[in-house]
Amino acid sequence: MKRILIAIVAMGLVLGMSGAALADGAVFGTAVPLTGPYAAMAEDMKKGSLMALEEINAAGGVMGKPAKVIVRDSMLKGDVALRHFKDMAGQGVKFIGGNLSGGISLVANEYACKNHLLYIAYCHTSLPLGKEFCGWGFTAAVIPYQTTAALANFAFNKLGKKWVSITADYRWGHDILGGWLVNSKKYGGEFLGNIYHPLGTRDFSTYIPKILALKPDFIVLSNYGTDQTSAIKQFAELGLTKKLPVVISKTHIVTIKETGKAYNENVYGSVTFYWGLQDKYPEAKKFVQKFWKKYGQPPSADGEAAYVATKSLFTAMNKTKTTTDVKKVIKELVTMKLHTPKGINRFRACDHVREQSVLVVQGKGAKAKGWDVATVVAEVPYTETLQSCENNKKDIPYGAVKLPGK
Amino acid sequence: MFGIPVEVLIMQVIFGLALGAIYVLLASGLSIIFGLLDVINFAHGTFYMLGAYAAFMATSLSGSFWVGVAASVVIVMLIGAMTEYFLLKPLYGEWPFYPLLLTFGFAVAVPDLMKALFGLIGKVVEYPEGLVGAFIWGGVLVPKYRLFIIIFTAVVMIALFLFLKRSDLGMIIRAATRDSLMVNVLGVNTSRIWTTGFALGVGLAALGGALHAPMVSAIPDMGVEMTVESFVVVVIGGLGSVGGAILGGLIIGQVVSFVSLFAGEYSQVAIFFAMAVILMVRPRGLFGEAGRL
Repeated sequence: MKRILIAIVAMGLVLGMSGAALADGAVFGTAVPLTGPYAAMAEDMKKGSLMALEEINAAGGVMGKPAKVIVRDSMLKGDVALRHFKDMAGQGVKFIGGNLSGGISLVANEYACKNHLLYIAYCHTSLPLGKEFCGWGFTAAVIPYQTTAALANFAFNKLGKKWVSITADYRWGHDILGGWLVNSKKYGGEFLGNIYHPLGTRDFSTYIPKILALKPDFIVLSNYGTDQTSAIKQFAELGLTKKLPVVISKTHIVTIKETGKAYNENVYGSVTFYWGLQDKYPEAKKFVQKFWKKYGQPPSADGEAAYVATKSLFTAMNKTKTTTDVKKVIKELVTMKLHTPKGINRFRACDHVREQSVLVVQGKGAKAKGWDVATVVAEVPYTETLQSCENNKKDIPYGAVKLPGK
Repeated sequence: MFGIPVEVLIMQVIFGLALGAIYVLLASGLSIIFGLLDVINFAHGTFYMLGAYAAFMATSLSGSFWVGVAASVVIVMLIGAMTEYFLLKPLYGEWPFYPLLLTFGFAVAVPDLMKALFGLIGKVVEYPEGLVGAFIWGGVLVPKYRLFIIIFTAVVMIALFLFLKRSDLGMIIRAATRDSLMVNVLGVNTSRIWTTGFALGVGLAALGGALHAPMVSAIPDMGVEMTVESFVVVVIGGLGSVGGAILGGLIIGQVVSFVSLFAGEYSQVAIFFAMAVILMVRPRGLFGEAGRL
């Protein structure tokens, strides 16, 4: 009995000490899905965040002390992510972030709202919309409808009007589909139908007969990670991508690379960052070269968003000279200029969305060499994709859209 | 039917057969291992993943998809034989859960090792020349690679059946699944039979991985779901029955295919629903009688 009591006391001391250590100084607690279908993308987020941390600490840290980033594996599960955030908050962490799922991002945001933590999403998220926005969350990437706005303009004007959609059956996919339906009306598109698929689907071929029967001008693919890779490879297997354009609501450089020749010139996608931007922005050149040298591959949009989020957060802490006063840091984040690889950006004060452009990229297929896998065909400024503060507050455009089958 | 053209339904059957063929390969391997060793191989999906990676490496080195597929089966069979000999064999006769825990540990550790060796970015195995695209037959679009998978799997299964039923080694394996002690008493080295059976089982999983690789790309976590789904197929067919695994794989392929047509979001859940329905009717699976090949 005595031994058990000593062990419990010792364990308590160890946990107590580790808790104190975790909350000491400037700490950013993150959770990303390092295992599962989005693992490669999450790894990029981790790299981007750690590179920003390294830069901050090389420049003197936060208030003269080294800052810390905690990276935990959410396994793409809401309950796991929430458990990590609760654990970190329980140990005094007041600034949390990460994610790669629109749904999990909203769960994290809700937790941050209730517990008055600052949450920064690196991924597409609808947290600035309607009742989801509570003032404690930030969006370092974009709202899902922004990519559909950028792509729809391109697709309905250049590829045709009739479209079918394959959508991952979870919150992000639903938001994206809502955005497409709104834009389809706007550009005179004809929606032929949608197929929902579960997350982690490997075989997309079974959806192909239905798509072919509908005779669309193009296919909208709204999924991510290995789901996206499998879908494009299987479309290409049938020669589908040679005849029928595929428009991907959110793509990733790793997906383009691992899809190989199948990601050809008839496949388009949206990203918020591509390393080719280094020819346009001097800041991007510096960022890309440093990232590439450090990790042996170019940064992705997810990596860039994590980099911007982490760097902005610690910069705001330095400016406000606090590592604990969340309200002060929030105030600073919405007033300061964000020095990003895409030049100066801002978090919009009304809904905390990063004001940034969306890129439309086109695959290079067999012409791809190394990481030179896509061409940027358009950079759409945020002024053309981001709705007004009032509309976001009213949950428009989604508020008016009835999703098929939901 | 339901306003859907017959051509679409036939295509759906073809895609379902191709998907089912991959399940057949994995589940028959799993059945052989369970029937022979009484080991629930939680690492089966890991060998499927190793098959995809081995195919990637061999294809990259040789430039030939066919060499890649053949090499992947041989490589993974060797890995399987070594795994059985050095890791599983010492646990036979101990607490029955030890082999299960070992394969579970293997399934956790090996993908992490692959992440360290190959990174998280998927490895591309291109479709073999000549099997990309589709041809029209009677108004039906027939995908060449899928047709190849269906025919090839059928050939492999016939060969496996003949091997188990007609060859000396096959008959010894079947006998060992029924009573390995008696086979041992008759002077057969059952230890070697177990190693051979395990290698054969994981070789079939590797073949599934190699054939699937062009459709999905090779990633370290690709075997996780596949293990679960293979178990479902084996349970549907009946534990330890290769014939049941074949029928179970074909049923699941069609279930996924047709649910995808009408309600895509339920295509994965449908697998488990089908299992539940079949187990309600036949609690031991379609051909269920543990320990029979």
